[in-house]
Amino acid sequence: MDSDFSLFERHVDALYRSALRLTRKPEDAEDLVQETYLRAYRYRNRFKPGTNEKAWLFTIMTNVFRNRLRQRPAPTEPLDQPGTDFSIYDQLRREGMPVHLMSPEEIIVERGFGDEVKRALEELPLPMRMVVVLVDVEDFSYKEVASILGIKIGTVMSRLHRGRQALQKKLWEYSGRPKARPVAVGAH
Amino acid sequence: MGDHCEQTMRKLSVYIDRELSDAEVRSVKAHLDDCPPCEKVFDFQAEMKRLVRKECCTDDAPARLRDWVRQLAAEKPSARDREA
Repeated sequence: MDSDFSLFERHVDALYRSALRLTRKPEDAEDLVQETYLRAYRYRNRFKPGTNEKAWLFTIMTNVFRNRLRQRPAPTEPLDQPGTDFSIYDQLRREGMPVHLMSPEEIIVERGFGDEVKRALEELPLPMRMVVVLVDVEDFSYKEVASILGIKIGTVMSRLHRGRQALQKKLWEYSGRPKARPVAVGAH
Repeated sequence: MGDHCEQTMRKLSVYIDRELSDAEVRSVKAHLDDCPPCEKVFDFQAEMKRLVRKECCTDDAPARLRDWVRQLAAEKPSARDREA
């Protein structure tokens, strides 16, 4: 069992980039990853070989992070707010941009939405940010995210939905568009 | 916008995440094949998901952190257990 710890090594980049999105500071992210590995090492006998070691590591990391936050809350954490329906695509169409003639890549490059993704993500309220990172960046399934965070699948889905809309709204605002108005989702 | 469009738009992100049942996947796919406006929305939302991943995957762990983890993995169990 002990020699299996090397199995965990390969997830260091994934843990670090997610830690960076959560803590927003390289030194805090590094520290969080170290504590995660120390705990994983200490409790390595509790890991069931053959199960998903990446999900196991992320469960440890999110628990460590939440404990830290309880002890010393970050003063600038954005508050969770009720979301309004928002989609960049609908917004562009309203502006009269010929979105149907352009590829998604062209739209994204032309409007510069790509440049601000990290910043927009880091400004989401934590519950949404965690879910978006775990699903969209780390490619965990809804079920895995529910288990990692100890929440229901329905909660994963609603946070993801609100998180993605909030992310698009921020990207829209950063890229210098007029302030967003709520629109119906998917209205043609 | 028809009922089919509305239903499809409601399921779109779950479809993109590959979390729908096989039957639902078939119905969403059939609608997207038939309805270019919905297909464009799908293309855009799928690209947004790829964009988030691509932008966030550029941060690799610093070399010293990677070395530290490698050392931990190579360590004899007893020393660190006593410390803990």
